[in-house]
Amino acid sequence: MEEKYLVCEDSLEGIFTGIYEAYALREGHEHVHIQIGEEDNYRLFAVYLHISPDTVKTGKVARTLLERLGESVYHGLCRAAASCYPDKGEAVYKAVVDAITQGSGRHVMENLRNPYVQRAFELARYTANEAHFETEFIRFQELEQGILFSRIGPKNNVIPFIMPHFADRLCPENFMIYDENRELFGVHPAKEEWYLVSAQGDFIPEQLKWSVKEEGYQELFKAFHETIGVKERENRRLQRQMCAYRYQDYMVEFQKK
Amino acid sequence: MEVRISPQMSVMEKLKILGAAAKYDVSCSSSGSSRQNDGQGIGNTVAAGLCHSFAADGRCVSLLKILFTNECIYDCRYCLNRCSNDVPRASFTPDEVCELTMEFYRRNYIEGLFLSSGILYSPNYTMELICETVHKLRTVHRFQGYIHVKAIPGADPLLIQRAGYLADRMSVNLEMATAEGLKEMAPNKHRRNILKPMRQIQNGITENKHELTLYKHAPHFCEAGQSTQMVIGALPESDYQIMSVAENLYDKFSLKRVYYSAFVNVNEDKDLPALAGGPPLLREHRLYQADWLLRFYDFKVDELLAADRPNFNTAIDPKADWAVRHLELFPVEINRADYRLLLRIPGVGVKSARRIVSARRFGSLTFEDLKKIGVVLKRALYFITCNGRMMYPTKIEENYIVRNLTYQNQMGKGEKLPFMTDGTIYQQMSLFS
Ligand code: SF4
Repeated sequence: MEEKYLVCEDSLEGIFTGIYEAYALREGHEHVHIQIGEEDNYRLFAVYLHISPDTVKTGKVARTLLERLGESVYHGLCRAAASCYPDKGEAVYKAVVDAITQGSGRHVMENLRNPYVQRAFELARYTANEAHFETEFIRFQELEQGILFSRIGPKNNVIPFIMPHFADRLCPENFMIYDENRELFGVHPAKEEWYLVSAQGDFIPEQLKWSVKEEGYQELFKAFHETIGVKERENRRLQRQMCAYRYQDYMVEFQKK
Repeated sequence: MEVRISPQMSVMEKLKILGAAAKYDVSCSSSGSSRQNDGQGIGNTVAAGLCHSFAADGRCVSLLKILFTNECIYDCRYCLNRCSNDVPRASFTPDEVCELTMEFYRRNYIEGLFLSSGILYSPNYTMELICETVHKLRTVHRFQGYIHVKAIPGADPLLIQRAGYLADRMSVNLEMATAEGLKEMAPNKHRRNILKPMRQIQNGITENKHELTLYKHAPHFCEAGQSTQMVIGALPESDYQIMSVAENLYDKFSLKRVYYSAFVNVNEDKDLPALAGGPPLLREHRLYQADWLLRFYDFKVDELLAADRPNFNTAIDPKADWAVRHLELFPVEINRADYRLLLRIPGVGVKSARRIVSARRFGSLTFEDLKKIGVVLKRALYFITCNGRMMYPTKIEENYIVRNLTYQNQMGKGEKLPFMTDGTIYQQMSLFS
């Protein structure tokens, strides 16, 4: 039997629509695969089907997964789908097959025997870890209008997973988180629901103007950060291990004057 | 109330002095409270706590950790702020502390405030200032993030109670493991003045739990519990003494955390150890490891140490040390052993033990599965079987195993020590498993 590749967009919608179509084929799942984006090396004797993301189909898949697998598995799958690794589509799809069709259901995560399940939850863990670090290490700057702005450069698409945390915590604030790798904003107007928007045209964060007091607080925090370390215990290696350079690059306290 | 401060001093200068003065207090955690924003102000708390940065010594920066003032009428020998020292002095005003906390918090620099203080005029006077500050933060600024405050020993119980209703966590530092030690090091402090507020806070927490079951909207009292700290290595106490005190504090005072702080001779006091190799970090590390065994692994101090074996083995961690002294219990069959016994296997942590229990329902586990689960096989292999087989044929004999475990250490492949053994590098607890 020939292999079928469903070529999907790199997004949650893309992957969920792909899963919908894979089930719609009714051909079993052994020879059906999900591929994210175009591939350079097309395989011979394989069929490629291009799938465009579809809101209705995505919604159906999401509802089914949520109902049948519970919140924690569902969120795990969403995190895997937000990963930066291109094999995520196949991993999420085959993990869903394990859970829904082969019946491991809510316990799918514990099924160590299925390499796709393993991979899906490994990817989910990577995203979750990075989202966790970003909630800790994000630094907001106050702009002229009192808006808080943060720029990040995560490997995975973490904004959807960190917005709820900040929307609760900074409820009375207008704030924005900008993922410069994806040119994506998470936007939270004070006391309202947050949403995602793509950057339009050329957005240059360096052109934003800080509020009058912003620099003063940055200096205060830098000074505090410098004083708090115990000299007799200095350990830069550990510091780096706990807070990698790729986060430090975005944190005020690690910027040279 | 008139506060003795130098008004011409800038907030920057104060922050440098009062941040530096607070840094030897090692409790940095922002854990234990879980609170959503009520829509009326800024902030929330996360049960596991969050770290917002890491300092040059590799320790987590979670809270704006400052002293309210480093003025002090006491003369503790280990402390830079003792009254007999000639150091620059500074005091914040309550408004300055509030502003710093709010502005740092909005920018996601911190998880909240840790407010300690030297003793200005009297314990009551100081405690009142602390209360006023925190009260302002909670009411005027409607701050809902994490607050940890010190209870000043000797302060009026009413003030301590007031602080408890405003703070997530409170702490009174025990400072020294023994009452005699405390007398020697801190002549103005008395053990009973430390234990009294500790007991009061404990009772406050217990009563509050009852209140909360009766009235859901009753105010919280120290939701994140209380902690304390002991200085390690300034006096010749044994690990056994220190750990027994810690165990008591957990059992009898229901403490959430006991912190151990390797002594740094800041005053270059000639009668106190000079500690040429730097602060006793390896010892501190072993104490933290043992502390985890008490809190999460169901160990008792008497299993780990004894009067004739009063100090931890520096070569291997306390759990491995216990295991090689109890080889009659090993090897343990991974597919059958109960959770409690799994926890006792070197190389198996709380997470892996839980994963083993849930994964083996799907079929019996192999060494390959254990690796995926996160078991550190090169440590565990001496102590386990999978389906009746050991990973390699190996002797189950104390000296042999110790030699292998420490050999791994020497090769840099075994226990990941958080610092070089010369004491120069220190790591926060990433922990053994
Ligand atoms: S009471 Fe003792 S430890 Fe506390 S600030 Fe004063 S001298 Fe230092």
